Amino acid sequence: MEFMHTKLDNGLVVVGERNEAAQSMACGFFVKTGSRDETPEESGVSHFLEHMMFKGGRPGENIHQQFRSIGAWYNASTSSENTIFYGRVLPEFQLRFIAQLTNLLRPALRKEDFETEKKVVLEEIAMCADSPKATAIVKGLKAFANGHPSGNNVLGELESIEALERDQMAAYYERRYSPSNMLFALTGAFDWGGAVQQVEEATRGWPVFKVEREYPPHHCIHQTHIAQNDALSREHLRWYWRGPSCQDDKQRAAEVLSSVLGGAVGSRMYWNLVDSGLAKSASMGAYAADQYGFYSARAECSPNRAGEVVHKVQDIFRDAAENGVAHDEVDRSKQKIASSLVLRSETPMRRLTPLGIEWTYRKKYLDTDEAVNRLLSVTKEDVEALLAEDPFAKGTLVALGPLETLEI
Amino acid sequence: MSSQDVLTHTFSNGLTLAAEIRPAIRAAAFNLRMPTGSAGDPSGKEGLSNVLSDLCYRGAGDLDSRALSDALDAIGMQRSGGPNRIAFSFGGAVMSDHLERALDLTADIVLRPALDPKELEPVRSLALQELASLEDQPQRNVFIHLNRAYFTNEYGLSFLGTEESLQSLTAEDMAEAQKSRFKPTGAIMSVAGRFDWERLKDAVEARFGAWDGSAPDLPQPIRRADGCYVHIEQDTQQQHIGAVYAAAPLEHPDIYVSRMALGVLSGGMGARLFTEVREKRGLAYAVGASGGYLKGCGYAQAYAGTTPERAQETLDTLIAELKRLTEGVTEEELERARTGLLSSLVMGGESTGARAGAISTDLYYLGRVRSLEEKREQIEAVDPASIAEHLKEFPPENFTVAALGPRRLEMPE
Repeated sequence: MEFMHTKLDNGLVVVGERNEAAQSMACGFFVKTGSRDETPEESGVSHFLEHMMFKGGRPGENIHQQFRSIGAWYNASTSSENTIFYGRVLPEFQLRFIAQLTNLLRPALRKEDFETEKKVVLEEIAMCADSPKATAIVKGLKAFANGHPSGNNVLGELESIEALERDQMAAYYERRYSPSNMLFALTGAFDWGGAVQQVEEATRGWPVFKVEREYPPHHCIHQTHIAQNDALSREHLRWYWRGPSCQDDKQRAAEVLSSVLGGAVGSRMYWNLVDSGLAKSASMGAYAADQYGFYSARAECSPNRAGEVVHKVQDIFRDAAENGVAHDEVDRSKQKIASSLVLRSETPMRRLTPLGIEWTYRKKYLDTDEAVNRLLSVTKEDVEALLAEDPFAKGTLVALGPLETLEI
Repeated sequence: MSSQDVLTHTFSNGLTLAAEIRPAIRAAAFNLRMPTGSAGDPSGKEGLSNVLSDLCYRGAGDLDSRALSDALDAIGMQRSGGPNRIAFSFGGAVMSDHLERALDLTADIVLRPALDPKELEPVRSLALQELASLEDQPQRNVFIHLNRAYFTNEYGLSFLGTEESLQSLTAEDMAEAQKSRFKPTGAIMSVAGRFDWERLKDAVEARFGAWDGSAPDLPQPIRRADGCYVHIEQDTQQQHIGAVYAAAPLEHPDIYVSRMALGVLSGGMGARLFTEVREKRGLAYAVGASGGYLKGCGYAQAYAGTTPERAQETLDTLIAELKRLTEGVTEEELERARTGLLSSLVMGGESTGARAGAISTDLYYLGRVRSLEEKREQIEAVDPASIAEHLKEFPPENFTVAALGPRRLEMPE
């Protein structure tokens, strides 16, 4: 693995991790923008715009047919803080793929396409509404954020999307899509010199302007939010607590802590909730974002056992805060995370997002070996240092399901 | 990644080991696949395979449930596998240094599971909850109903079981199923990643060599030939529509003609279904079609999710597009589907887990592992004429359709 990076005159950062042994190359644009950068009136515009990019810039061009003609696997995703356009191809198609990706980022935003695609986005919102898992996340993130923009709904609201106009989208694009607010990342068997020159030439004429992100304080409060829905048959529980951000070196210890307490199998949540059949599933994770971060746990159970589940979860976290964690739990968790890190790094496509996000927010390069070494260096004391801050004393619980009240 | 790179060895008990070495990767993925599945669950005992799979992890060999779980975690093994209708697999992925230990534990899980009667109740409770949870997953639920309507024998039953069948399961059922159905004849152990072949062969023989016997044959799938419409009334935001029809089985010599026709229909964004249903009409966010394969039996299934007011138009468009395939495909469309399929063949081989699965699939259906070259030749030989010829044998027609949502739909003419 060889790492390379450069910054173009227009501010666009290009990073690459070359793997000569790979059979493919992956690359993509990481735009530092998402729902947290939206005003309430334009809620959902980042994601809607991501859809509109695929409608093309020049009259009559068909973006999908272009990508498919080189056998590209490609996609895009929008989160609260990143919009990513990416894919993978066989190395011989690098030149055409990069040309198509750079072209993708200059959309025409035609009114007619806008109206058709609005229907698709509304269908996507309806699809999520049929998924209690997705709905609980949206409600949980929003409640936990307590007014912080990181809780903004990525898909937007039915009302905001219906009311959104083409010119609002264009204004958002002109406010956020400066090359200085983007990164272009490459992984696998690529040609670095060719890629840099091509991206440099293709983006030379793009307008450059200052893009900012707001970082208001996050006021974390203790709350329970009941989202009653009679149409559901199960209770879907979600907890949120504050955790390390992606600028914080403690995020690795936070991952180990989450795995000890709430890995999908073999964790304390598993043994206390799932092993006995009390809950169908229960797990947790640590999610690091831009100067913002949280732990999130989830459980799905029968409505009449929900109170019991909530109590047990409280006990698990109280016990961890009071009595700490054991050496062997920490060791097992580290092994599990280490092997998943290695397995996730097998293909250029899987390496792309970690590379792009790490550089966007930390200006650091971590190869897989180094990431594994750092993880393995986490100690029981590091994990207990996190617990000493008592992160689970204050947080948000969302209960989505048939229950009107939760006995806690 | 030619077939020369896949090493195979069949042991005297009928177990085949097939492995591909990837020296640049530090991990290894493996999969032990036995030729029995939920289609072999006794009558009235649907869901047995699913429950048995869970139970096998709750203690095996000298280890109780907790000790087994800790032992798997201590080597960081990522578990994979489970039953489907025609296969029962146990597998995982580990750093290469831990491969032999992972095989130790897998041998215990498959050959010497404790199947402790005390553990049956919690596992049953989880299975009942999984069943209840379907109500909250309309997108998944519609396919359970579609499958039930399409297959008229054991293959139509849900592998999740029913409340009644799950309640009827006993510890004896579990012991009997493990004893009679987990057998080496026709079983495949596939491995991809970093390892030493001779050592691996010895390791597998040491752990699985003394195993013997054959599982009872699975029944042949029986499906309806005439098509039908099933409505599942539920108060959902979207109407979830699934459609299924007969297509070439995986063993068919023209399987790549069939897959290319599916590629024209649904080979990613920009293929026909995406273009007609989503891009032009904005009817759905999720729309697509894929192939499904049982032994000697192939089918294609399509899905679209849309709001109830537009559900009829969506179903009409979906069926019209499936039928329009027989009117011919253009060389341009075919070229895009071809390039996509060829690229995904190469790139799909980059992950050890995917590779272990693909080796096992080839061996199971065809009795051999196809080389990349062989697949490439077959894909390149497909042209509009061969698609037209193939669709005469397997025309998209006699659709079985299931729609879950508030609105009852009319089957298009």
